[in-house]
Amino acid sequence: MDNMRLEEHRIEQEPYYLPQGQEVALAEAAYNSGLPLLLKGPTGCGKTRFMQYLAWKLGRPLITVSCHDDLSTSDLVGRYLIKGGEAVWTDGPLTLAVRAGAVCYLDEIVEARKDTTVVIHPLADDRRELPIEKRGELLLAPPQFMLAVSYNPGYQSVLKDLKPSTRQRFVALSFAYPDPEREAEIVAREGGVTGDLARSLVKLGTMTRGLKDSGLPEGASTRLLIQAGKLMGRGIDVRPACHHAIAEPLTDDPELLQAIDEMVSSVF
Amino acid sequence: MDADLLKETFLSLVAPDLPNDWDVEEAVENMAGLDEHRCHSIMNQVPVIWPVSHSLCFDYLKAAAGALACIEPAALPIWVNRTLDQYEKNGLRSARRFMADVEKNFLCPLRGESGLRFAEAAGRLLPYLRGLSGRKLELAAAPAVYTDTVTIFVPPEITLFQEEADNFFLYKLIITYQWAFIVQSTLTVSPSPENGKCGERAGDELWLQGFLRSFSCPELAQDLYHLLETARITRYLEEELPGLMRHKRELAALLEPVPRSGAGKPSILAALRDLLLQREEGITSSPDLMQSCRSIVSGCRSARSAHDSIRATMALYPLVQDVEPEYIPLEPLLYQGGLRLDAVRVARQALLAELEERFVDVLATRLLNLPGQSGRPAEPMFRREEQDASSPPESGIALIVAGGRDQATETAARTLLLTVNNKEIEVGEELNNLASDIISELGYLPAQYVTSAAGRAGRGYAPLRGTDEAGGMEELTAPVTYDEWDYRRADFRKNWVSLQEKDLPLLHSSFVQETLSRYHGQIVRLHRQFEMLRQAERFVRRQKEGEDIDLDAVVESLADSRAGLAGSDRLFVRLQRDRRDIAVLFLIDMSNSTQGWVGLTIKESLVLLCEALAVVGDRYGIYGFSGMRRLRSEFFHIKGLGEPYDDAVRQRIGSIAPREYTRMGPALRHATALLRRVEARTRLLITLSDGKPEDYDDYKGEYAIEDTRHALLEARAASIHPFCITIDRQAHDYMDHMYGAKNYIMIDDVRKLPRRMPELYRALTR
Ligand SMILES: Nc1ncnc2c1ncn2[C@@H]1O[C@H](COP(=O)(O)OP(=O)(O)OP(=O)(O)O)[C@@H](O)[C@H]1O
Ligand SMILES: [Mg+2]
Repeated sequence: MDNMRLEEHRIEQEPYYLPQGQEVALAEAAYNSGLPLLLKGPTGCGKTRFMQYLAWKLGRPLITVSCHDDLSTSDLVGRYLIKGGEAVWTDGPLTLAVRAGAVCYLDEIVEARKDTTVVIHPLADDRRELPIEKRGELLLAPPQFMLAVSYNPGYQSVLKDLKPSTRQRFVALSFAYPDPEREAEIVAREGGVTGDLARSLVKLGTMTRGLKDSGLPEGASTRLLIQAGKLMGRGIDVRPACHHAIAEPLTDDPELLQAIDEMVSSVF
Repeated sequence: MDADLLKETFLSLVAPDLPNDWDVEEAVENMAGLDEHRCHSIMNQVPVIWPVSHSLCFDYLKAAAGALACIEPAALPIWVNRTLDQYEKNGLRSARRFMADVEKNFLCPLRGESGLRFAEAAGRLLPYLRGLSGRKLELAAAPAVYTDTVTIFVPPEITLFQEEADNFFLYKLIITYQWAFIVQSTLTVSPSPENGKCGERAGDELWLQGFLRSFSCPELAQDLYHLLETARITRYLEEELPGLMRHKRELAALLEPVPRSGAGKPSILAALRDLLLQREEGITSSPDLMQSCRSIVSGCRSARSAHDSIRATMALYPLVQDVEPEYIPLEPLLYQGGLRLDAVRVARQALLAELEERFVDVLATRLLNLPGQSGRPAEPMFRREEQDASSPPESGIALIVAGGRDQATETAARTLLLTVNNKEIEVGEELNNLASDIISELGYLPAQYVTSAAGRAGRGYAPLRGTDEAGGMEELTAPVTYDEWDYRRADFRKNWVSLQEKDLPLLHSSFVQETLSRYHGQIVRLHRQFEMLRQAERFVRRQKEGEDIDLDAVVESLADSRAGLAGSDRLFVRLQRDRRDIAVLFLIDMSNSTQGWVGLTIKESLVLLCEALAVVGDRYGIYGFSGMRRLRSEFFHIKGLGEPYDDAVRQRIGSIAPREYTRMGPALRHATALLRRVEARTRLLITLSDGKPEDYDDYKGEYAIEDTRHALLEARAASIHPFCITIDRQAHDYMDHMYGAKNYIMIDDVRKLPRRMPELYRALTR
C-alpha cells in the first residue's frame, strides 16, 4: 500500500526548469550533506517547480504538503485508522517520506501552527530523526531523505513569524522573479506563446511589480504571466486574457485594475 | 431670407467699412435657408464680432447657421461670447475649432459634461506611471505640459475629445512621453559618458543649457533638439509600447495641430516636424531645404541616444538658419510638451541637496555609533580608490568607492568602504544606496559630504536612534521611535517620531453608571446579540477523523461488527477549535477637535462596546492617542489587551478627554506593534477618529494622508485588519485612498455612534 502511495510521487520525466543561478548546485550540495532546504520567494516564482526538478535530478520521490493553519501533527506524522474493527496505523506524508528516503516539501510553512512546526525540528538538525509518539517509535532518516520548506517573506513583513530556532536549521535559497530574458523564455515555453508575446507579458509583469507603494503588495508572478499566455493560446484576445489572468487576480481596487488595464493596452 | 437682403443687412451693420463682395456673399450663403427670426439673431451679433476680427466675423457667419441646428437663437450671444474668449486667448484657429463643434465645445460644458479633469483621472494615472517607471515619479496639474524629472506636469483638464476614454488616453500619452524623456536622458544629456550622467556640479546649470546657449539663436537650437528627441522617443515608444502608439495613430488626426490653411507657407520647423514624425503631407513646401535635411533626418532615424540628437542638432542648425534666418517659434505638440530646463535644474538641485543631507546624516550616525568612538572622531580623509589606491589611509576616516562603473548598462557595481583609523567598517545598505544615488547623479561622491558628516559626528550631533521594542505593555515608560513615511521621497524618515505610552489618570465619576442606565434597553439587546457570536473550544465526538480515538465509539463499533453488523467508521474525537479567535485593539482619537459632544459620544460608545464584548469574550484593548509634533506623540493606555474590564478601566474611559493634535501614523504603528505580539487568528485594529490626520508641524495634507495610508498598509502586511470609523459630516475624497474603500465607515451623525459601534463590530467579526 505504502509502496503504491510512494510510486505516485516519483517523477519520471525531467521537469522543465530554467536555473536562475547556482541554486541547483547548492541544493545538491545540501542534499549530499544531509542539510534541509529553506526556499524563500514571492508566490509563483518557481519554488515548487524547482523542487520537482531537484527531486527528479536526485532520483527521489517528492512528497509535497501544503501547510495551513489547521494542519495538525497527526496530519504530518500519521494516525490510527480503524479498519475492519482494528486500529491500523497509517503513516502521514512526513513519515512516509522519511521511511522511503524521499524528498518532503512543506509548502508555505509559516501557515502551519507553531506546535505543528516543531515536529520537524529534530528532523532538520543533525539528529535527522522523527519521533512518532503515538507508536513510541523513533525513525532515523536515511541519507536519501531530504526536508525542504518554503515561505514567502511577503510585503514588508519582518520574516513573518518563522521562529529563529526553526529558520536556523536550514540552508536557505532565495528565489526572485527571473531576469526578463529568462522569464520570457519560461513564459514562452510554459505558456505556449511566441517569444515576442512572452517578452511583452514579462514587460507587463515588471510594470505591475512597480506598484508596491500604490497599494499592490505583490506584482504579477511568473505563474500569472504563463496563465495569461495559456488563455491567449486558446484564442482569447490579449486584453481580456491579461485582464482576467493578471489584473483581476492581483487586485480588487478599481483604480489599480484600470491602471493595469492601461498598462496592458500600452504594452500590446 | 433672400441672399441679397442678407448682404445688404450685413453691409449696413459694418458700415462705413466696405468689405469685399465675394467674402460677404460666401459668408451668408449658408443662411439662405433660415427664417427671418434666425437670420436676425445671427446678424445681431455682427457688430460684436466685426470690430474684433473681420475674418472671425466671416467664419462666424458661416458657422452660425449650423450652430442654430443645436442651440436656441437666444443662446447665440453666449456662444458668441465664448467664441470671442477663445479668440482672445488662443487665436483665430482655436476660435474656429471651437465654433466647429457646438455640441462638444459649447453644449456639453453647459450641461456640465465637459472633458476629463486630472483629479478624476489621477487615481488611475499615478499607478500607471509608477508601474511604467518602476520608480517614484510624481504627477501634478499645471497650465503647461513639461517635466522637471521629478514631477510630470499635465493639464488640469483635457477637453479635446468628446469621449472621456479618448481624453484619458491623451493624459496617458502625455505622461508616457514625459516619462520617456526622463528615462532616455533627454533633459540630462551629457557630452560624453565619462563625465558621469550629467557632468554638472550642484548649483551649476545643466550641460544642455550651456550647449544651447552656444548657438546664436538658442531658442531655435532648443526647438531643433526637442524635435529630434521627440522623433527619437516616438521610435523608442513604438518599440517599447506598441499598443499605446497604435492607439495614438488612430487618434492622430485629432492630436496633431490643424494644418494651416491658405497661402501661409509652413515654417521650416513645422516642415521638419512633419518630416521627422513621418507625416509626408508637409514636405512639399520647401523642397530644396528638405532635400538637404532629408539626409540628416534619415541619419537621425537610427539615433539611439540623446547624444545622437545633440550631434544632429549641430548639423541641422546651420541649414535651417540659411533658409529661414528669422526664428519662427513652433507651438509644441500637446503630448510633446515644453522643455523647461530651469525647472529641471532646480528639481535636481533639490534632489541632490536632499541626498546630501541624508547621506551626511546617516554617515554621521554611523560614525557616532562606532564602538569606542567616544570624544572626537578621527580627522576625515577622503579619496577615491582609482586615484590613490597605493597608499592606504593610516589614520582618519576614509570613504572609498571601489569598483568601476559599467557605463553600458548604467548599473553601478560599486562598493563603499568605510575606513576609520585604518580599520574597515561595515557601511550598511542605506549608506551604500545613498552613495550610489549620489554617484549616479553627480558622477562622483563629493569629499565635503564626508567632511561634514565627520564634523557633525564630532559636534556630538545625535539623531534619534531606535530603541528596542521592550518593556511591559502596560507600563511602557521608555519612548519608542517610529519611522514615518515621506511620500515625496517614497521612503521612510528613519526614527522620525518619538512616541510615549502613558497611563490615563483614574477618574471617579458617575459617567459610566449614567451611561449604563441611559442605554439600558440597548444593552440588554446587545447582550443577546453578542451571546450568539460566542463559541468555545470543544471536543466533538464520532468523527471520521480526529486527534484521538473515540473509545466509546470503538467499543460500540467492535461490538456491532462482532454482532455481524457493519461497524461505524465514525470513531474519532476532534477538537473543534474556537472560531472566534479574535484580538482587537481600539484606537481612539483624542485630539482637541473631538471637544464637546463628539468626545462624550465616543466615551458612551466605548462603554456599550465593552458591555457587548464582555459577553462575547474576544480579547480587546483600548488606547487613545494625541500629541504635538514629531517628538511628542502620546499613546494613552485605557485597557490593555489582556486586562479585564474592571473599575479602573471604567474610570479611565471616564477620563478620556480631548487633548492636542492627530498624528495618526505613529499611533497606528504602535498599535500594530502591540497587536503583533498577540497570537490570534484574526487581529483587528479599529480606529475611531473625527476626520483628517493633522499635527502642529508639517504633518498635514497629502503628507499626513500618505503616512496614515502607509501605516495602514504596514498593519495589513502584519496580517492585521485595520478598520476605521470616522465621524464626519461630509465625505472626503481622500478617505477611500487613505483607508481603502472597504475598510472604513463614515458616520455622519455622531449620536448614532453608540448604537452603530457594537453593530459594526458584530458585522466585522461575524
Ligand atoms: N525557473 C523556472 N523554470 C521553469 N519554469 C518556471 C520557472 N520559474 C517559474 N516557472 C513557471 O512558473 C510556474 C509557477 O511556479 P511555481 O509553481 O514553482 O511557483 P512557487 O514559487 O511554488 O509559487 P507558490 O509560492 O505560490 O507556491 C511554474 O508552473 C512554472 O511553469
Ligand atoms: Mg508552490
